[in-house]
Amino acid sequence: MKAAGLDVGSRTLKLVILNGNRIIWAAKSLSSFDQLGSVLNLLNGLEYDRITVTGYGRHLVSAHLGCSAISEIKAFAIGSKAIFPECGVVLDIGGQDTKVISLGEKNEIKKFEMNDKCAAGTGRFLEIMANALNYSLDEFAVAASSASKSEKINNMCTVFAESEVISLIAKGAKREEIALSIHEAIASRSVALLKRVELKGEILFAGGVALNRFLCNLIARELKRTVHVPADPQIVGAIGAAIHASGSEIFRVLWHDGKEVEVKAVHG
Amino acid sequence: MDRKLEPLIPDKYAGDNPLKRVLAYIESQVREGKKVVGLYCGYAPVELIHAASLVPVTLCAFSNAPIEKAEVILPANLCPLIKSSFGFIITDTCPFFALSEVVIGETTCDGKKKVFELISRYKPIHVMELPQFPESPRALKSWVLMIKELKGFIETYFKLKISDEDIEAAIANSNLKTKMMNQIFEYLALDPPVIHWEELYEVLFLGLSCKAKDMVGTFESIIEKLEARKNEGYFEEKQGSPRVMITGCPVAGDALKVFRAVDRAGGVIVALEACSGMKPYMSYIEEGTGDPIMAIAKRYLRIPCSCMTPNDGRLRWLDHLINRFKPHAVIDVILHACHTYNVESYKVGEYIQKEHGLPFLKIVTDYSQNDTEQIATRIEALLDILR
Repeated sequence: MKAAGLDVGSRTLKLVILNGNRIIWAAKSLSSFDQLGSVLNLLNGLEYDRITVTGYGRHLVSAHLGCSAISEIKAFAIGSKAIFPECGVVLDIGGQDTKVISLGEKNEIKKFEMNDKCAAGTGRFLEIMANALNYSLDEFAVAASSASKSEKINNMCTVFAESEVISLIAKGAKREEIALSIHEAIASRSVALLKRVELKGEILFAGGVALNRFLCNLIARELKRTVHVPADPQIVGAIGAAIHASGSEIFRVLWHDGKEVEVKAVHG
Repeated sequence: MDRKLEPLIPDKYAGDNPLKRVLAYIESQVREGKKVVGLYCGYAPVELIHAASLVPVTLCAFSNAPIEKAEVILPANLCPLIKSSFGFIITDTCPFFALSEVVIGETTCDGKKKVFELISRYKPIHVMELPQFPESPRALKSWVLMIKELKGFIETYFKLKISDEDIEAAIANSNLKTKMMNQIFEYLALDPPVIHWEELYEVLFLGLSCKAKDMVGTFESIIEKLEARKNEGYFEEKQGSPRVMITGCPVAGDALKVFRAVDRAGGVIVALEACSGMKPYMSYIEEGTGDPIMAIAKRYLRIPCSCMTPNDGRLRWLDHLINRFKPHAVIDVILHACHTYNVESYKVGEYIQKEHGLPFLKIVTDYSQNDTEQIATRIEALLDILR
């Protein structure tokens, strides 16, 4: 059976199709104001027997496709276990949400924590701050890693943090130092959220922000623990949704050629 | 909610905004020559108002609409309940405020305290200084004084006398209402409950203003209907659904998005801890003591609001509700910038999880609708834990 999982995120759409336990298709595209149109584009010409939708836009899309929908928390819980069975805690930083999920021995969700409703410390926050410093997202992380000192950013509200950044620029702080300050602020916020749950088992860091390897390092360093990051951290929720669509219990997911979905250890 | 159900209060307001029914009741009282007293909070001793043959009414405070206007004067970083109530006043859009002769306030928080000063420009307002150490012997003494002061204010303003007998009669009236309300709450303890929170809210809203004697008929017919639903097996599809208790700040109007998210996620709300829910009916006032003001003072001082410190009464009240309504999960609704409920949430969450072993979710929100999806995600995930 071919089971599809679609993660309709605030910034990115992610699609995974499983044939049995193998990923036979994985694709991403940017979300747009025409969410349904973007989804239909992504699904165009693809074959699958069942589909489950997750993510911010799940209700809109599931109503249109007439399929089931699950929360991102459930999707990331399932997806994380499917690629990394040792996982006990998931940190997922997406476009507009930061979530921490702690998983029990029977793969059940024991507890979860989420950021407040604003975009503080999320992917969108990173984008806005990179923009304020005139960096691309890649340059932003590289610049931060090259800085030798940082300033403390006190305000994690996106709007206020931006004005704080502007006043740091006005004070003549170096661009890369400000970049480091912002990364440190996000890392400490993520660690604070992680500490609200019991950190039992290995920690998996997923979601689009996990693409920022420097931030992964900072979080591991601040936690003084190893953090595991999937080679493609964005598709974890879509994998979880696809497993849900298949109707099975959680199983180990592999690439179509039988290779494991790579998860890298970042040491603290 | 299954709309095919016969409405519990089958009048012309059924299915409409329940506040219209309350307004109609108040207007009927005004036509009989009664005067109206506006209230904001459950600490206002309504027995004194009833004893003076006045009509108590809860003022509007739960709509997002007037907040923009209020923010011209008030800081944006203030609780939506205060901003909304003040916005209603300055835009002259709360019919209950318009009908009120005077307003009674209590110092339950700093924001309200200071906004009362501004409200006094629009209507006479009497503010009661609420003691905040409920376990201290000083608290009761001082609260008795405050209630006497309120009595004096009502007597002077409305040029009347409130006798102890009138207060005793009002206490008996409140107790009767508490008894009848608790009979209705019993139907939430069932699995599945045969009353939906929206229906309960209709009854609760009416209860805030109505005298028990004016409600007895309505109560009896509601209970008859609920009994029939129980016997006929209504809401059977809801049997075994995750049972949710709501605690925290008062919730109504635009904040009901949280309750609706529970409905949509397939949960059933079985207990409403807050002042907008079951709290006004949590206990009785002692009758026939010979000192009715003391009896009232004791009852009101037991209200477990987060403005009290320590507020262990809330934990005992939660114990009671959990034992009675058997929720599977607890959601703490915090209105943005309500510091006392927000801070207390940590203690409450710890207690609910450790002592009762129930999953706990804190939701901080305001009256805007732009976080509806984020709230839905949290609530769906909470209910996922239970399935």
